[in-house]
Amino acid sequence: MADLLRVRDLQTRFFTQEGQVNAVDGVSFEVREGEVFGVVGESGSGKRLRDADLAADVRADRPDAVDGSFVDLLGLPDRVRRGLRGPTFGTVFQDPASSLNPSLTVGEQIAEAVEVQRRADANPRSVDSRTQGYGLAKFLVGGTVPGSGYLDEASEARAVELLEQVGIPDPAERAEEYPHEYSGGMLQRALIAQVLAGEPDLLVADEPTTALDVTVQAQILDLLADLQAERGMTILLITHNLGVIARMCDRIAVMYAGEIVERGTLSDVFERPVHPYTQGLLGSVPDLDSVGGRLTPIAGNVPSLLDSEMGERCYFADRCPKAMEACLDDPDERSAAGSADHTARCVLTGMDYGDSPPLAEDHFGDGPSRDGHDGGDP
Amino acid sequence: MSLGRFLLRRGVHGVFVVWGVVTVVFLLRFISPGDPVNFIAPLDASPELRRRIAEELGLNRPMYVQYAEYLAGLVRGDMGFSYLRGQEASAIVFARLPATIELAVAASVVAVVIAIPLGVISATRRHQPADYGATLFSLVGISTPNFWLGIMLILVAAVQLNLFPTSQRPVGFLEIFGHLVAVELAGPSVAVPLDVRAFAGTLGTWLWHITLPALTLGTYFTALITRLTRSGMLDELGKPYVDAARAKGLPETLVRYRHALRNTLIPVITVLGLQLGTLIGGAVITEAVFAWPGLGTLLIGSINVRDWPLIQASLIVIGVSFVLLNIAVDALYASLDPRVDYE
Repeated sequence: MADLLRVRDLQTRFFTQEGQVNAVDGVSFEVREGEVFGVVGESGSGKRLRDADLAADVRADRPDAVDGSFVDLLGLPDRVRRGLRGPTFGTVFQDPASSLNPSLTVGEQIAEAVEVQRRADANPRSVDSRTQGYGLAKFLVGGTVPGSGYLDEASEARAVELLEQVGIPDPAERAEEYPHEYSGGMLQRALIAQVLAGEPDLLVADEPTTALDVTVQAQILDLLADLQAERGMTILLITHNLGVIARMCDRIAVMYAGEIVERGTLSDVFERPVHPYTQGLLGSVPDLDSVGGRLTPIAGNVPSLLDSEMGERCYFADRCPKAMEACLDDPDERSAAGSADHTARCVLTGMDYGDSPPLAEDHFGDGPSRDGHDGGDP
Repeated sequence: MSLGRFLLRRGVHGVFVVWGVVTVVFLLRFISPGDPVNFIAPLDASPELRRRIAEELGLNRPMYVQYAEYLAGLVRGDMGFSYLRGQEASAIVFARLPATIELAVAASVVAVVIAIPLGVISATRRHQPADYGATLFSLVGISTPNFWLGIMLILVAAVQLNLFPTSQRPVGFLEIFGHLVAVELAGPSVAVPLDVRAFAGTLGTWLWHITLPALTLGTYFTALITRLTRSGMLDELGKPYVDAARAKGLPETLVRYRHALRNTLIPVITVLGLQLGTLIGGAVITEAVFAWPGLGTLLIGSINVRDWPLIQASLIVIGVSFVLLNIAVDALYASLDPRVDYE
């Protein structure tokens, strides 16, 4: 399958009083057409490529944006890049309740997404055609003078259709309601409908179920899976929930401290995990079949991402049960035993480092620093 | 709750508030120094004459009798007679009311027209020269006292540059309407054309006279609304729904106006309505500076001569306007913000 999105050496840095924080440090991956690609990691691992980042920082490439050649998203001017949103990629956010405008009806907001596409298609040459002179004056008269608003009736009808497709009952009536009249699960459905309005090739789902009840989570995941099957849509799923990953994804990238530590197909990572971090992550998941056993947590916290404190080494070494002297060098990504896609960023992978002496217990200082560097958590 | 029930409930509520206002205003007379008789009677009046004047005005009766009579009068719409002018107090006050409302509305219009675009520009170009300019303007605007600004405007714009008149209100807004109404009254059968010249002349004169007072009264207000719009916009632009709106490909103009400004305007309109009430009661100084014949000048004049029926009538009318505006703002708020119910 062809690549739909290529992320090359993505770095997200922000600058605090304490210094530079490398939230995402040189991440590369590609998402193939029609697959569900999962990015998983614990809090603070840098997995959340929020849509803002995707627009601002990701060197994402689109095969058919310009004549089959890949386009450097980062190099595009903001207005052009925004034009790619909707038809090329759409985002479902973590918190549906705050992702909709409280003072516009749900139907209006979905219709906007349809309308912006309709206007762009009607006049593909001009980036500004989608605005069509909409500004302060249009906004002020829009509510009072009929026909002067932004939305077209056809767009509003399409919004109702989309609501129906995501399984909202009485879509025509619900379209007239405001976000506060919806439940959390309904809101997430509405947000998905809004993304579908642009008919995107790539759907970015950023923790789409975190804010929802467990039963509703399952419904939303089913909906995403159905949509993916029906439309052959590509999904980039960002989550900390291994259950969600296991249920949805074809391929996975596991993130730790701003880097991808292991990647591969679902079975590579879940059945033959190589990196001690992945093993730890899987070991901390409760198993319904084994009663009475204790969970195995990973000791400590995600390390400080302050540039000054990071250095060149395996960032997991201070929490790793298998740490040894060789871990003080920055490990490369190495091919692991699974499928062709399976790689891990760990010295244990594929090579025999049995000679390397184990790392001294207090190499990174005693007690507290084993729990991560205090005060540096961004 | 429906709008009708809401208005009814707030109306009943408002009656009690107005009653409280009336009572306080009535009691003011008994705790204020200066016997009105002194201002009416000649300086060499005999005690007998003074007694008769007091008796005629009803000032010698027990307080509760006066209070009951005053309330009974109010219910019938009778606010008493002005001591010195011998006219009904209500007639005098209502004759002055249009001038005050005009000024308050004009000041609000100035504020809205300048402040909302300025606030939006300021918020969307944060930490750029335009933002610093707007912030400086609002700081200066909020700190400048009305009377000083009024006098400066008169000195510079009226006296030095001779652009505007220094004072007075030769025509009212009602007279501008008068031109239109005259056409309407004549009916379609009689073709009375709108006297465009006279209409434009009246409008021009009105605008020419109201500009300086409206700027004076509106500056503080403009500064306030600019700040409110700026901080509101910044607040809204930082919310997740704005990111979501951008994520669906909406151009920035739509994100700004259709999304962020819509929510920013909810508190702005609330403050606007409440401030309009303050402007009606608080235009006293501006009216005095520009000799604007509104309630403010009337109130000051009446206080100077202890013309209690006029003082009371002015204060009650100001109080009632305040209550009505408050009810209107609450009703508007509920219709603007879908999350708010009429409660």
